[in-house]
Amino acid sequence: MAQKRIELPQGTLDLLILRTLALEPQHGWAVSERIHQISSDVLLIQQGSLYPALHRLERRGWIKAKWGTSENNRRAKFYELTKTGHKQLELEKDSWKKLAAAVAQILETA
Amino acid sequence: MVNDLLFRLRSLFRRNADESEADAELRFHFDQQVEKNLKSGLAREEAIRRARLDFGGHEQLKEEIRDARGVNLIETLFQDMRYGLRILGRTPMISGIAVLSLALGIGANTAIFSLIDTVMLRMLPVEKPEELMQVRIREPQSPSGESDATFTNPLWEELRNRQDFFSGIFSWSSTQFDLAQGGAVHDANGLFTSGNYFSTLGVRPAVGRLITEADDKRGCPGVAVLSYGFWQDHFGGSQNAVGSTLSLDNHIFNVIGVSSPGFFGLEVGNKFDVAIPVCAAQIFDGPKSRLDRRSWWWLTVAGRSKPGLSPDQLKARLGVVSPQVFAAALPLDWEPKSQQDFLKRSFQAIPAATGTSYLRQQFTQPLHVLMGVVGLVLLIACANIASLMLARASARHKEIAVRKALGASRARLIRQLLTECVLLSTAGALLGVLFARWGTSLLVRFISTGNNSVFLDLSFDWRILSFTAAVAIFTGFLFGVLPAFRSTRVSLTSAMKGSQSVDAESRSKFRPGKWIVALQVALSLVLLVASGLFLRSLVKLVTMDVGFDRNNVLIVRANLHNAKVAPDQQPAMFDEVESRLRALPGVVSAGRSVMTPVSNYVWNSDLEVDTPNAPTGEAALAFFNFVSPGYLGTVRTPLLAGRNFNDGDTKAAPRVAVVNETLARKFFPNGDALGKYFRVHADPGKPAPPIQIVGLAKDAKYESLREEAHPTAYFPVAQITELTEEQVFELRTATRPSVLVPAVQEAVAGVSKAIPLDFATLAQQVDDSLVQERLLATLSTFFGGLALLLAMIGLYGALSYLVSQRQAEFGIRMALGAPQRSILKLVMRDVAIVLVGGTAIGVCLSFAMLSVLQKMLFDVSPHDTFTFITAVGVLCAVATVAGYLPARRAMRVDPMVALRYE
Repeated sequence: MAQKRIELPQGTLDLLILRTLALEPQHGWAVSERIHQISSDVLLIQQGSLYPALHRLERRGWIKAKWGTSENNRRAKFYELTKTGHKQLELEKDSWKKLAAAVAQILETA
Repeated sequence: MVNDLLFRLRSLFRRNADESEADAELRFHFDQQVEKNLKSGLAREEAIRRARLDFGGHEQLKEEIRDARGVNLIETLFQDMRYGLRILGRTPMISGIAVLSLALGIGANTAIFSLIDTVMLRMLPVEKPEELMQVRIREPQSPSGESDATFTNPLWEELRNRQDFFSGIFSWSSTQFDLAQGGAVHDANGLFTSGNYFSTLGVRPAVGRLITEADDKRGCPGVAVLSYGFWQDHFGGSQNAVGSTLSLDNHIFNVIGVSSPGFFGLEVGNKFDVAIPVCAAQIFDGPKSRLDRRSWWWLTVAGRSKPGLSPDQLKARLGVVSPQVFAAALPLDWEPKSQQDFLKRSFQAIPAATGTSYLRQQFTQPLHVLMGVVGLVLLIACANIASLMLARASARHKEIAVRKALGASRARLIRQLLTECVLLSTAGALLGVLFARWGTSLLVRFISTGNNSVFLDLSFDWRILSFTAAVAIFTGFLFGVLPAFRSTRVSLTSAMKGSQSVDAESRSKFRPGKWIVALQVALSLVLLVASGLFLRSLVKLVTMDVGFDRNNVLIVRANLHNAKVAPDQQPAMFDEVESRLRALPGVVSAGRSVMTPVSNYVWNSDLEVDTPNAPTGEAALAFFNFVSPGYLGTVRTPLLAGRNFNDGDTKAAPRVAVVNETLARKFFPNGDALGKYFRVHADPGKPAPPIQIVGLAKDAKYESLREEAHPTAYFPVAQITELTEEQVFELRTATRPSVLVPAVQEAVAGVSKAIPLDFATLAQQVDDSLVQERLLATLSTFFGGLALLLAMIGLYGALSYLVSQRQAEFGIRMALGAPQRSILKLVMRDVAIVLVGGTAIGVCLSFAMLSVLQKMLFDVSPHDTFTFITAVGVLCAVATVAGYLPARRAMRVDPMVALRYE
């Protein structure tokens, strides 16, 4: 089972988190579940590694956190995108697309 | 960026809250996951196991979160420091030596630097010092950059009245005043100031008022301003000082105020005690005062340049005004040729923000040399600590391996090790600053001489403190980087095996240590050679035949100015004093003269002789002294031929002279000087009587010990041509000269009570002229010794470490039957390698570096073979001892004990 999964390239986790949070404020577990579902289990992400990334993004001021109540009525920490976070998401999306396109082109033609 | 920092700081203070929040957050996630797993039909235990697997280590995550929040950077710094202190405290002896040697190195650097700072770099404590410019006089033919600082009063007044490019221009002159009224001289540092001196400098009064323009008018009454320090010392800071009077050279002055604390004048190294207006010179000089004398050079001039005036503009304006000023202040009694030269002189202005200082020209070079010396000492100290760190790092081999195995990154470990080094150097710097405080005041006392005490404001300023901080950080890294990088390059497997005494490995481990010690040996050799050169110079200067005998001679300077005798009666009075002094018990012989040897004063003029090819111009310059018949015998300058002066050489008798060998050789190359005549060059219209040479004296040093013998002529003091109110008595004493001081005072008081006396000894006077040489010799020897000691500690430490590393090997060797001597040889071979390598590098370095000392040496080449050989000899001898101690320990290794470690 492990063989089928792909390790996440460095730095892309941030992009995925930002993208996930762009829809609505969510707590860590939801972010993890969502990435898991949408990527159809292809990406190998240690669930724990999400949290250092979330805190790093918070330090950079791209997301902010506040405590709220979860669906099952428990206290949970919710993250949401800030203004600079939105900008950063656009930037990262752009550069990711460029990178992906470039890599794809090389694979096609070379 | 700011945001980031704030976040980190906030995290630091909210540590506990953050910690529990992170806990809650992770727990929430974990619970959710478990729930999900349960829903998918897993048994409870399996659900928890899976969740844990997916999630990763809880504590590890928290650490990563702390990292991500940036708490760690600051927090680990504290952690590193705490841990570092603990590690250093575990070996108090070694850490103590490290801190002490660093403190000596850093302290020496700070001390020398703070002298350089105060003497050369520091701005004057006045308003906007950067605007101050000193005006100097340039002779047309003198090389560029060379100029003279002193003005005559007419020159100063003309310049002041004709300039409009300084917002304020002022003059001053330093002098000595006798505060006592008769009896022993009580000198105070006097300062003549022009009326606007204080106001232009922006100095405010502490009490009363300062000298103003109104006080500086011709015919002014005597008013005086005290310096703050003098006010404190002599008036106890009493308000009543203002309005009281002060006797300066027997003239009464009214005290009008006290200047602000911290202001010492414009001459770094001097401080003034009493300031009086320039016009008051008339009070001392009488009607023919220096105020109108056109060839009495005594004032220094500086101004505050107008804002917006560029240096070039200022130069141009000075150029325009120069001819007018010099024409108006032309000395009328000069020869036409000299007058023409005078008119061609011009003014130039140089920045004076740091004031002026005679110390600068005297000590700039020695201070730079000493800075280099202490720099090397510090380098050696650093090398010591580096090898110490290397050795200790190997001892911590296992600890580092364990920490690495537990997941510490190499960067993290290096940071830990460097923190320890910076801790060491910080402690060294703190202690060093203490040493420096103590060292600088010692240094200042060192360069102060009997009649010239040096005053320097030695308070630390930002420049000195940042210098020390920079040195401390730099040294910390210097001795920390190599060991930190080496010791964190640990192979986990070999460390875990717990064995590291593989022979080859430990040998290679000593290699950087060996290089460091060789470098120390080389550097300390450089310092040893330098100190040897300075010592030899000093010894040569001190033991050289100077042409007189300086021991047991008391010098008594007497001034008849206040004795109220007519000028034509003064010689008789001096004669009377001389004969009374000669009769004192304990006086072997007595003489009197106008000049004393090596006193920094000269009296010279051109000689004219009738011989063909006689020297002219500069070459015709000869140096004079007027002496009583007893003088030559008293200072023991031997008479080689002819006769000495006697009572027959009176004012009315034909003019005669005793000349020294150099004068005789120079002006009478045929060797027939005795009986010949010469004249002293005189201005046209003035008489220049022929003077017959009646005696030939041995060459004696006149101005300084370093000089080539000056052509010197002695004349009978009875035939002196100018009124000389101050003359000097030389007394050769049977015992210590100073013992005679009370008897001399009493004897002179028997002639007149109004003769101030100033005492010195000839030996002290000669000694004082060697301050620079003695400073260099003493300090370089001290630091050379220190460097040697540090290098030997380094050698000893490195070898001890090597021996402990190879203990097992030695044990095996001895168990297999190797004799003790072969073990000794094994260790001493390492000593030899280090010594030979270090000495070779050191000799090359010395050859390359020490040529710069040439000018400061006397009669010694910077490549002096004797000095080199001695230095190498001393080094080898000491190194052999330092090396033998650990080698002996190696030799005595008990094979049983050594092998048990395996």
